[in-house]
Parts: sequence; C-alpha cells; structure tokens
Amino acid sequence: MRSVLRLACAALLTIACAATARAEVKLTWFMWSGSEPEVVAWKHVAELVHEKYPDITVEFQTTSFPDYWTKLPVLAASGKLPDIISLQSLRAPGFAQLMEPLDARIAADKFDIGAFEPSIIKGLQRGGKQYALPYDFGPLVLYYNTELFAKAGLPEPRPGWTEEAFMKAARALTKDGTYGFAVSEPDAFIAFARSKGASYLSDKGDLDLTNAGLKKAFADYVALVTKEKVAPLFPASGTQSSSVANGRFTAGNVAMYVDGPWQLLNIKKKANFRVGVAPVPVRSAGSITITAGSGFGISATSRNKDAAWKAVQVMTGPEAEKYLAEAGRAFSARKAFQENWFATAAQDVTGAREAINAALATAEPFVTTPNWSVVSALFLQYAPLAYAGSETPEKVLETIQTLATQ
Amino acid sequence: MRRFWPWVRLGAIAVTACVFLFPFFWMVSNALRRDREVFAVPPRLLPTEFQWGNFVQAWEYLPFGQFFLNSFIVAGSITAIVLVVSSLGGYAFARLHFAGRGPLFLVYLGTLMVPQAVIVIPLFLMMSWIGWLDTYQGLIVPMAFSSFGTFLMRQFFLSVPQELEDAAMIDGAAHWRILLTIFLPLALPALGLLALFTFTGQWNAFLWPLVAVNGPEHATLPLGLTLFQGQQGTQWNYMMAGATISMAPGLALTILLHRTIFKGIAVGSGFGGR
Amino acid sequence: MASRRRRGDATTAALFLAPGLLGLTLFLLLPLAASLALSFTNWQVMGETSFIGLANYRRLFTADPVFWGVLATTLAYTAEYLVLNIVLALAMAVWISSLPWGRTLFRLVFFLPTFTPLVGVALVWLLMLSPGGVIEWGFAGLGLTVPNIITDPRLALQAIVLVSLWSHFGYNMLLFGAALEAIPATYLDAAAIDGAGAWARFWKIKLPLISPSLFFGTVLTAITSLQTFDQVYALTRGGPGSSTTTLGYAIYNQGFVVYRLGYASSIAWVLFAVIMALTALQLHLQRRWVHYDA
Repeated sequence: MRSVLRLACAALLTIACAATARAEVKLTWFMWSGSEPEVVAWKHVAELVHEKYPDITVEFQTTSFPDYWTKLPVLAASGKLPDIISLQSLRAPGFAQLMEPLDARIAADKFDIGAFEPSIIKGLQRGGKQYALPYDFGPLVLYYNTELFAKAGLPEPRPGWTEEAFMKAARALTKDGTYGFAVSEPDAFIAFARSKGASYLSDKGDLDLTNAGLKKAFADYVALVTKEKVAPLFPASGTQSSSVANGRFTAGNVAMYVDGPWQLLNIKKKANFRVGVAPVPVRSAGSITITAGSGFGISATSRNKDAAWKAVQVMTGPEAEKYLAEAGRAFSARKAFQENWFATAAQDVTGAREAINAALATAEPFVTTPNWSVVSALFLQYAPLAYAGSETPEKVLETIQTLATQ
Repeated sequence: MRRFWPWVRLGAIAVTACVFLFPFFWMVSNALRRDREVFAVPPRLLPTEFQWGNFVQAWEYLPFGQFFLNSFIVAGSITAIVLVVSSLGGYAFARLHFAGRGPLFLVYLGTLMVPQAVIVIPLFLMMSWIGWLDTYQGLIVPMAFSSFGTFLMRQFFLSVPQELEDAAMIDGAAHWRILLTIFLPLALPALGLLALFTFTGQWNAFLWPLVAVNGPEHATLPLGLTLFQGQQGTQWNYMMAGATISMAPGLALTILLHRTIFKGIAVGSGFGGR
Repeated sequence: MASRRRRGDATTAALFLAPGLLGLTLFLLLPLAASLALSFTNWQVMGETSFIGLANYRRLFTADPVFWGVLATTLAYTAEYLVLNIVLALAMAVWISSLPWGRTLFRLVFFLPTFTPLVGVALVWLLMLSPGGVIEWGFAGLGLTVPNIITDPRLALQAIVLVSLWSHFGYNMLLFGAALEAIPATYLDAAAIDGAGAWARFWKIKLPLISPSLFFGTVLTAITSLQTFDQVYALTRGGPGSSTTTLGYAIYNQGFVVYRLGYASSIAWVLFAVIMALTALQLHLQRRWVHYDA
C-alpha cells in the first residue's frame, strides 16, 4: 500500500516537473526588413534562440524601415510593445525611453561586452546606460556598378580617390538615360558634408542645419542634381530616397550611390552585375564617413524580461553573428566575425575589404538628436524642393531647421 | 450634315473613352513586364514577354491573400451591421411616433457632416486604450455606424403605403414582425443598394486602416499596397500587379451591377458622393 | 387604442434606435467632443500631457511656418477641383445623353474608376507621372518640354487634381445624366417649337431643371474634397515641400507621423470649421439658383 502511494507520489512529481519544464515562453520581436531574403535571415536568427533554449520561442514581426519608427510609439501607447525591440543607433536618443537598461544584467552575467566594436556599443547608449546589444555596424560606403565603369573605360574607384575623380567618373557615366550617381538624404548627405568639414550639430549637440558650412555643403550636394545633372530627380512619394536610389542602382541605371554594408544582401540579390565598394571620395576635409549600427534590447514593459535577455544574447551571439555576416545581412558588430563578412558575403564584391577598412580608419559615429525621426522625415519631404530647383538649398535647410525645432 | 453630327459625337467620345481607359491598360501592361522594362526608353506599350509570374511573386512577396481576406471580412462585417442598424433606425423614424423624433432626426442628419479626419485621433486613442488597435473589431466596429443608412431606409419606408401596416396591426402583429415580414421584403432593392455602396466604400477605405493597423496581419488591400510602396520603392511591376488585384473586385461589381448602381445614383439620395 | 399604440411605439422606438444611437454616440459624437478637448492639450504619445488652453491655435495661426500655406492649398485644391469636376461631369453628361447609341456603355466607362481604391489609382498615376514615365515621354514626343508635374512644387497639386478628377468625376456625371434624362421631352419640344436653339434650351430649361442635382453634387463634392487624403498620401506624401499638404494630410502627419495628437486635433477643428462654413454658405446661396418646383 505504502509503495503504491510512493509510486503515485513519484508519478505526480514527474508530471508536475514536466509541466513546469514545459512552461514555454513566447517572446515577440519587432524588426524592420526590406526584402524576402532579409525576412528569411531574421527568422533564422529567431530559430537560433529556440534551438538554444527550447522553452523560448521568438515570434518575428516586421515592417519597412520608415514604418517601423512610426509604429513603435503606437505600440507603446497601446501597451503592445514587443518583448524584444530592435534599435538603430541613430534613433537611440529618441527611442531608448521605451526600453530597459541592460547594465545590471550585463554586470550580473559578466557578459563580455568587449567583444563588440566599441563605437557601436556607445551608439546604443543613452545617458550612459546600455539599451541594446549590437548585431551590426558599419560605415556608409560608395557602392558602384563595375560593368558600367568598365563600359565607360573608367578606372574603378580605390581608397583615397578624390572628389575630382568622382566628378569625372559621374560625368562620364551620365548618358543614355543612365546617371553617374544618386543622391539620398539625410544619411548620405551627412557623410558628404562631414567630408567637407561641415557640421550638422552645434557644439552643445543640438540640431544646427543653418550654419554657413552646412549650407555650402548642401548647395554643393544639390548641384549634383541641378547644375552637374549627374544624378536623377526623384518624386517625393514618401519612399525613402535611399531605397529609391538602391532600386535605381540595382536596376542598373545609376552607377554609384552611398549606403551601409547592411544593404549588401539586398543589393546582391537584385543586381545582375558585379558590385564594387569604395570609400566615399576625399573632399576638403578628407574621406570622412559616418558609422551607424543596430541592435536588440528589451522593452521596458515586457513581462518576460529574463527570457528576453537570454534571447538577445543569442541573437547577438557568436552563432547568429557568424550567420548574419556570411549571409551579407550584417557587417558584424563582433570584431571576431567581420572576417566572415569579407570572406563569404563580400567575396564576389570588388574592393570590399580595402574599402571598409579604409572607411573605418577615418569614420566617426553618427551622432543624432532625440527627434532624428522627424529630422529624417523632413529631409525626405523638403530636400526635393532643392533638387527640383524651386527653392534654394539654403532655404530648404532653414525650413527643416524651423519645423524640426518648433 | 445634320444626320452625321450624332455619329461624329459618338466617334469623338469613343476616342475620349480610349484615352480615359489608358491608365487601366498601363497598369496591367506594367504588371506583366520585367522590372527593367518599366522605365524603358522609349516606353513599350506591351511587355516583350508576358510575366504572368509577377502576380504570383507579388502574392508571395506580401501576403495579398491575407489582405484580400481582411478586406472582405472588414467590408462584409461593416455592411452587415449597417444593414441591420439602418433598417431598425429607418423604421423607427419613418413609422413610429415618439417624443423628440424630429430633433433626434436632425441630430442624425447633422452627424453626416462630421469629417472622418476630425474624429480619427480620438478614435485611435479609444481603440488603443481598449486594446483594439490592430484587430478586426477595431477596424469594423468604429466604422459601422453612419446615420446615412438610417436616413436612406427612412426615406424608403416612408413610401410604403400605410394600409399595409394597418392591416397587420389589426392582426395584432408587433412592430418587429411588421418590419421583418412586410417592410424588409419590400425594401430589398434599397437594402441591396445600401449594401453595395457600403461594401465598396469600405473596401476602398484607407485612412482608418492606415491608423488602426500595425502590420500585414490585419491590413486591408489599399493599406497593403502602400506597405508595398514602403518596402519596395521601385518594384513597379509587382506594385502594379498589387494594384490590379486591389481594383479587380470593384471593377467586376461595377461592370456586373452597373444598371443597379446607376439607378441608385439616379434616385439622388446621396450614395457616396465624392 | 391610439394612445396605447403611441406608448407602445415609444418603447419599440427606443429598442429599434438603441444600436444606432449607441454606435453614433460612442464612435462619432464622443470622439467629436474629445477631439475638441484634445485640441486644448499638448497630447503626445510619449511624454507628459497637460492642458495648454489656446496655445495650439495660437501657434497654428501665428507661429507655424506652413499652416497658412496648407490652408491655402486646401482651399485652392477644393475650388479648382470642384469647378472642374462639376463642369466636366455636366459636359460629359450632356454629351453622352445626346448620343444615338451606347449611352450606358460610355457612362460605364467613365464611371469605372469610381468604385476602385484611390490608393491603387494614385499608384498607377504615380508610375505614369514619374520622371522618365510615359507621360513625360508623351509630352517630349509632341515636342513639348514641360516641367515634371510631380516633382515641381508649383504643379504637384495639379497631379492631385488630375487623379481625383479621373477617378471620381463619373459619380457626378451619372447624377447629372439621370437628372437630364428625367426632363420631360415635352418641355424641350415646346421650347424648340418656340425657336429656342440648343444653347438656349440648355441654359434656360435644362440647367434650371437639374439645379437640385447640381446643388446636391456640389455640396457633397465640396465636403469630400476638403478632406482629401488618400491621393496625397499615395502620390506625394504632401510634398515636394508642403506644396500638396492638405488639411487632411496635415492632420495625419502631425497626428500619426510626428505624434503631436493635441496639435493635430486643433488642425482637425479648423478643417471642421471650414467645412461647416462652406456648407452654410452653399445652403445660403442655393436660394438664388436652385429651383425645386418644376
């Protein structure tokens, strides 16, 4: 009798244990994406978490990059923030308030933060606190179409190439409905301006678009469309100018444009020519580009913060980083896996290693203001006025400055 | 000359009609071509090779099947609610006597003037507080109450002869039975028109879904199209395939039911009105 | 008997009206009042909220660098679209009603876009109007170099007018067409016998007789065009600059892109006031030109 009881107890215990062990945690993760291959890559990363922690499932939710930043506040307002939030360094000042500082957890787990590129670790901080762990980072570089360069008989751009060489190439490549270059803003323009020694922030770190240096730089940038006519005019239809530029580049009717290494996966998928990469040209202040990156953090309102912390570590962990680097989705934020990006994703891209290394040598982190989403949207809306020649570039910057700071 | 004049007018309008229809042609023609032929110089009227696969790819790329289903669920549910609410309300205003009927009816008419843009922000906040953002009920319920249907059904019920109602009254029938057995069967044409205009209006609605929906899961077709625009700024062939998909039901309904629609507009009771 | 029925009526009426009344109160009247209340706050999605009295309106009318432009754009758009829509709809209705054959067919053709999503229509036009698109090429082929309508801020509003007209003039065309067909032939015959030409018959007989339909079409078209949003969102997002930003788009932009919900609500009430004023004006003017007795 007693043994029967004991057996029954044991059985009950086993069932109870099994029940608690199977208490699965379902985490939601919100992330931007721009194409099907990207979605596949991210779903794989979510799967890695499940493999490591079978009781955790990560549900991937996605939207386009611009929409991501307008939807996040809505989710916050309706108490529907996902457990895991993706954060880009440019938006950290504005959106860190939705997220949980990670410092205590990093300290408690003795998590090795030194394995990451220091500049992007800093980029995902706000007020000295760490809000996300980075998965990628990278300098804006110049993508070019090697076939169009060959056809025009031009030497391909190399590190250290000058503004004069860039202009010469752009002019030669502009013919028969094809353009040498495509402008986009604000990011690519900021790299252009920094190379000319102009600043978009005041000494105190406030938005300052109306200083003489930046006005001059913007006038020069706009002249690529209006005077030099080496870059096409796009309609202001709400699409990011960088994604329009990307589309024209991969379609083969724009020979050069500026974007980050995170676009390599999309570009390789769509382009049917060999892609080349070079640093931005040397202008009066040198070849100065900006670096940005992104990472994952925990929402302040998550009910599964412990599980989310586990997931974030996997999603930015060695295995995920290796995968993302080889797929070409991320120039890794972990120094150890940047080689994988060069060796695998960029192996059929001309000049990638030299270009990235040269760019990183002189690059600076992309510092922004808390309302950078608004600044960015205003650039998209008002810059076309300058390109179309209906308002002076100086006036456009003044308008953006007024509207962004009112 | 006099005899030819009407035929000249006919020929001229046929040419005008062809020009007018060009955007439809261009949409389908671009939906069926390769991406790089979209901005070909000079433009080609027809694709070199018909890419029927574009529709499949557009369908796979973004969940157009889901959008289609969502549009159907949302527009269908709103139409169903509108029909019920309008029949009840229209009957009350047309055939029942109660204190304050006149003033209340004026309030109903007044609400027709309230633009959606004015109430969209509070509605958004309400929906976010009760957790209805990005749900079907959040898309359906707030949009299902317009006094227009009530107004229309009242006009129709007013025209039903009093004798029919009186005869039923003598039999001791209650109002809900009179409504169900006598008025509604008579009102089938009016109900059909109301259903048609409500359904197409909601199928095409954009502002509320744009505000109330967060991602592809509950997006309706028009919203899905702009999601496409955001993600694929330049994949015009897929975008045109998506536009074709979104327009197909409206075009089919218009062509099949054009006589009914024209009659509905002719009675001048203010269907839609743009 | 009669009084008992009346009392029964009141209960039934309450029951029958309950769902509609509840819905209208919750989803129309309440939000309307709430939107007015919101316009006196600095409500944002993230951050503190407080009552700020008339500050939103003060900023709107005195400090906002684009508001007056937006208001002017909205009114200019409405005026132009309204006139073109009514004239075109009337002209096409008259033209089609004079045809010996195919009236229904041509009415159907011009009505086709009406029941399709404006967003889809706008995207098709965006493709045609884009730089390098078929329309630019067409003009070039005719030897005309015209600025691109969608990238030129002075012309971009015309793109919105064009798309709106293409997709929606068919509705008024049908409305006026039906009114024209309802005119008894005897009226026109009598006038013809009296020696009135086609032109005189149109101005003296047809136009007065269809004036109620004209009035109805004008009022509804004005109300909806003041709220224009879908086309703007899909074609230009209010740009280039703010050249196509209508009040409707400004409300969306301030409310759901920048998330200044209080400020957006004050723009919404300006829109509401404009609609009410314009409708009142039209109701006032109708006495001069609308003939209901005929």
